[in-house]
Amino acid sequence: MKTISTIILVIGLSVCLKAQITLGSTVETFGVLAGSTVTSSGPTVVLGNLGVSPGTAVTGFAAIPPGGVGLVSGAIHSADAFAGTAQTQLTTAYNSAAGAASTATVSGDLGGLTFFPGVYTSNSSLAITGTVTLNALGNPNAQFIFQMGSTLTTAVGSTVLLTNGAQASNVFWQVGSSATLGTSSFFSGNILALVSISLGTGAALQGRALARNGAVTLLSNTINTPAGLGGPPPPLVTPAPSSLILVTTALLGILIYQGRKRIFKPFRT
Amino acid sequence: MSWRKSAVLLTVVALLACYAPALRGMFEQWRTDEDMSHGFLVPVVILWVIWRERERWRALPAQPNWWGWALLAVAAGLHFAGALGVGLFAESLALLISVAGAVLYLGGFSWLRTLAFPLTLALFMLPKLALVYNQATLPLQLLASRIAASMLTVAGIGVIREGNILDVGGHRVAVVEACNGIRYLLSLGFMAVVLGYLFDSKPGMWPARFTLLAAAIPIAIVANAARVAAAGWMPALDSGFAHELSGWFIFVLCLAMLILTRQLFNKMYVLYRS
Repeated sequence: MKTISTIILVIGLSVCLKAQITLGSTVETFGVLAGSTVTSSGPTVVLGNLGVSPGTAVTGFAAIPPGGVGLVSGAIHSADAFAGTAQTQLTTAYNSAAGAASTATVSGDLGGLTFFPGVYTSNSSLAITGTVTLNALGNPNAQFIFQMGSTLTTAVGSTVLLTNGAQASNVFWQVGSSATLGTSSFFSGNILALVSISLGTGAALQGRALARNGAVTLLSNTINTPAGLGGPPPPLVTPAPSSLILVTTALLGILIYQGRKRIFKPFRT
Repeated sequence: MSWRKSAVLLTVVALLACYAPALRGMFEQWRTDEDMSHGFLVPVVILWVIWRERERWRALPAQPNWWGWALLAVAAGLHFAGALGVGLFAESLALLISVAGAVLYLGGFSWLRTLAFPLTLALFMLPKLALVYNQATLPLQLLASRIAASMLTVAGIGVIREGNILDVGGHRVAVVEACNGIRYLLSLGFMAVVLGYLFDSKPGMWPARFTLLAAAIPIAIVANAARVAAAGWMPALDSGFAHELSGWFIFVLCLAMLILTRQLFNKMYVLYRS
């Protein structure tokens, strides 16, 4: 009963939630943005822009000296005006996320929990072990905002799963200090960190790694920036034919095979 | 009308009345979820199997068994839990258990054994169990993406994979939930069971049936990855009629592979037995 009341309360509060966070047209083109440095080791792939401002150092990518094996599908902006504008927009978005009215308090490890659209607040750090599910209740515009006073840490192989229409572009992780994603983890959403962001080896991020003051450190990662103005084109979706068509085909095939003698009899004589 | 026919009729009416909401829910899912639309065909196949076996079950004497009521009680409990909010899956499963219970109390264990196969087929009508589906979806999406990327790499086509997205020279393909392969898996699994019943129904052929069902899993996964790889490789295949046709054609190949696996297994099995 208590659980049902809590769910009803959370859904109710979610419906009442009017605050909508927007990133800004410049910053949303970035898959990775740092304040001091962007460092990559191994075959990292960033689909979207990559930038740093006010710092200048970007290492580990083929497109910029000193080179490396990392790939960026968009442009690399090192301390230029575009990156500067992105940082300004990031600060605005960070403050909006931090100031959003809380709908529920969370603490400790979020692993195994399911969240509905809303603003979830923790005064200290948050962790994710296993899978955390974000359920948009069928509304693709629904936003999830996680505010935390200090760090965000995800465990090895952990997953942030989006269901029922939840979009990575509508998930915001406002991190009071630094975020660390575990090795081979799968993370969804925009990480807005005050200090730094580190991705473990092979971690995949469906979203953005945006650090205001510190570094973004990458280790053979894949970062897929959700489609936005000037971002990469939205990918095509390729579902299979419906199971009704597939099974009908197969059953017809069996029927023809079973009745082949009767069907082909006229042709034999 | 004999008392037996009256009892059967009364039971059917009672089950339909009690489980009308579950049946409506299942029908709605078959109608709206393309992974589950084969649900419309499952009752047809079940009725056909029952009709095909009519001589067998008609010859059986009815030996009503009180254990049927125990099954009905279990189903009622599950149905009640489903109505309280556990979900459609529980209610639908309760319907199947109720049918098994009704068969047992009306005809006994010999009837239940004869109708065991149609009841097994009915499992394919059940709605997706959200807990399992949500857990399996992402790993299946990533597996399909990984295998598709490997296929393209082996074929000498440059591909960048990040998570569930394949980038083939700027042409991007997303392996979303609807592309996770569950559709192929359920359809091919169902067909494996039907093929096993049709071609390997003799006593002692259960290893062939089991192999057929087990083979359906890797075949469906690889076929789905091949479909994704084809859509990545040839942009013309990523949407519209050509896409539907390629998906359909690959499924036909899957069926052929399944039949080939059966033939191969049967030959090896005969050799082993001799």
